[in-house]
Amino acid sequence: MSTRIQGLQASDLSIEVQATDDGLCLVWLGKSNDRYPGQVLGPFFDGVLQHAAAQSLPLEMRFHHLEHFNSSTITSVIELIQDARTRGVRLTIAYDGAVKWQRLSFDALRVFDRGDGLLELRGG
Amino acid sequence: MQDFRFSIDVPVRNQWADIERLRASVQNCLMAVFTDVGGVNALAMVTGELLENAVKYGHWGSDGGVFRLRVSGDRRQAAVTVENPVDDGAEGPARVEATLRWLGRFQDAGAAYQARLLEVAAAPRGTSGGLGLARVAYEGGCRLRAERAPNTLRVTAEWTFEAGA
Repeated sequence: MSTRIQGLQASDLSIEVQATDDGLCLVWLGKSNDRYPGQVLGPFFDGVLQHAAAQSLPLEMRFHHLEHFNSSTITSVIELIQDARTRGVRLTIAYDGAVKWQRLSFDALRVFDRGDGLLELRGG
Repeated sequence: MQDFRFSIDVPVRNQWADIERLRASVQNCLMAVFTDVGGVNALAMVTGELLENAVKYGHWGSDGGVFRLRVSGDRRQAAVTVENPVDDGAEGPARVEATLRWLGRFQDAGAAYQARLLEVAAAPRGTSGGLGLARVAYEGGCRLRAERAPNTLRVTAEWTFEAGA
């Protein structure tokens, strides 16, 4: 399966887009430390969600290889969760639960799990 | 080892790109000293968040400016202090102090952080803030305090290592 979605390279952050058997997978690499990460991530996520919604594809964000992100990036992730729900896109946030900062950061996002099946947080 | 005290004390230029240089430098220095990797990562994150706040909310003239980062401690505890110039009448320092008072109302930093996440989600986009300090308290496991002197704000995050060095 091919995808028309290009990855993102912005400063210290790369996001690779991979097509999997049943959806889209975005792999975060490096560090997200921009002052205004939403200016880059917002339009990128919008394009990804538009594609996923049009193709009825679930979306997975893989953070295992992300080294660091600032709190402004967390705001962008919150907005992604909201926008995915609005568009009816099933979103999985996958992270390394053995890495303390990832476990703490992403476990806290369970506050946005409404039990509607549209958000899964997987710390494997 | 009897003397395990450490201290990093540097002037910082008011430039966003320097924040990551310093955050990574603190992380690398402490990684060479401590075995508690999670703790070192937490202190590095705390350093980054406090530096970001200083650049965002400090009072900077048109020719830029310099502020101060101090990271110090011993095998049991550490403190990250960022001291920057502020306009005493500006919203920024008052907002920092209000956030610390708000955090102090919670018994559990995790509950405070989740409450802040929900506030960020509910706020009009581009208007929310204050997540960084809540993250320092929750993910960093730090006790936070702010001190004011005329035209100066000093924010300190105090931290205790889980397993010593």
